Amino acid sequence: MPDAIFQVEHLSLTYPARRGQPAATILTDVSVDLERGGALTLVGPSGSGKSSLLRCLNRLEEPTAGVVRFAGRPITDLDPRELRRRAALVLQTPVLFEGTVRENLMVHAPGVALDVSESRLRETLGEVGLAATLLDRDAAMLSGGEKQRVTIARALLRDPQALLLDEPTSALDPPNATLVVETICGLRDNRGLSIVAVTHAPELVRRLGGALLYLVAGRVQACERVHDGGVIDERLQAFLSGTHP
Amino acid sequence: MTTGGFGIIDLSWWQLGLALLLVIVVAAVSLRQRLGLERDLLIGTVRTLVQLYLVGLILAAVFTAARWYWVLLILVVMAAIATHAAVSRLAKPIPGVYWIAAAALTISTAATLTYVIGIVVQPRPWWEPQYLIPIAGMILGNSMTSAALAGERLQADLFARRDEVEARLALGFAGREAVQPLVRAALRASMIPTVNGMMTVGVVQLPGMMTGQILAGASPLTAIRYQIVVVFMLAVATALGSLLFVRLAAGRYLTPAHQLRRYLL
Repeated sequence: MPDAIFQVEHLSLTYPARRGQPAATILTDVSVDLERGGALTLVGPSGSGKSSLLRCLNRLEEPTAGVVRFAGRPITDLDPRELRRRAALVLQTPVLFEGTVRENLMVHAPGVALDVSESRLRETLGEVGLAATLLDRDAAMLSGGEKQRVTIARALLRDPQALLLDEPTSALDPPNATLVVETICGLRDNRGLSIVAVTHAPELVRRLGGALLYLVAGRVQACERVHDGGVIDERLQAFLSGTHP
Repeated sequence: MTTGGFGIIDLSWWQLGLALLLVIVVAAVSLRQRLGLERDLLIGTVRTLVQLYLVGLILAAVFTAARWYWVLLILVVMAAIATHAAVSRLAKPIPGVYWIAAAALTISTAATLTYVIGIVVQPRPWWEPQYLIPIAGMILGNSMTSAALAGERLQADLFARRDEVEARLALGFAGREAVQPLVRAALRASMIPTVNGMMTVGVVQLPGMMTGQILAGASPLTAIRYQIVVVFMLAVATALGSLLFVRLAAGRYLTPAHQLRRYLL
């Protein structure tokens, strides 16, 4: 792929055996590409290795074999901290630290420059569909959907090129999930962000488009592009129609 | 009844036997209330007798021999036992934890001991066992307890707050920075007993060392001076011991690529 943001080549991940627990194979020979500005959704049953694959992309997890390239360079050649700012991860359960929304948005590693001017904070909150009046609210008092959008805003303040989303809507009720889906699709369109999302939500896949990767027990079962909200593979069709197990 | 060298009453065998009656009272309570503690009580009583007699014999021999290398050997054995005790309290193993605990306890004890013996108390010779062994014992014992406390807390927090740590890593924090709030919480937890102890020292109960000196015939005014040195010394020893232990242990959970080793949790 000429202008790929992520290239995953023959990736395998095995956890070593430890004290009575046998070695566990999480991912086996996974290869997939994502073009700049594109979208990739990872689907499959629980425990199929979707989240682990996502965590390999920003190197929270170290693959046992294979290579991940970010913008053409193996991620092992990059400073992991820099990689994680450029490929921002949003977790399933939003993690907000003690303090106000403003304090949460301003969180950054010591010695790293981050533009957190008032106007930028307001603008970024607006981008995820939140009102600037929330800035001085205690983060613990927000609803689940608001929390998730604050964590997305926090990631955006780092000017990432890619957004990695780990089941971003699964902890939310349907109206909040819809709002988050719209936020994510808006970011892709307006910012040209590349998006990798682990999801069980067919709505997110249909809205995002791009490629759909189906994993079972750590192996790629199918991978194809979503055209007009539809796919050819039966298993993927079942997933999109919501009849997926 | 005879008197010892410092005007202290030397307890005879039959006096020890009288003290043993107290344990029999405890055994009676346990039997009557069906606490089921008689067996442990018996083992505990025997161990108290045997361990303390052995220690007494060894210390008496070391005091008589008056050689620095025997004193040093005693300190090494004490440090090894303290290391083992600190490590065995951890709920889950940490790779290399023995070395971590040994380093933390040895460095904190050596640093505190050097200052207290070399600069504050200044016994002649410096290895005078009468000073070095009990003071080193107090330092080691407290460092051990606080290091174990800090380690336990760190381990529990790393498990309970792993998402928080990874959220920081995902925001571009270095591993060390990502675990810093947990390290701080663990240090606070381990130091609170020491700091609280400083608030009530001498008011609620007389510290062991001071009690010992007063029983041995020292003036309470001499005893309190030593006790003041001991309190300050233990504060720094616990702080140093737990700081080193937690810092080193937290490092074991992180990789050079700023990843959290989740499989260790």
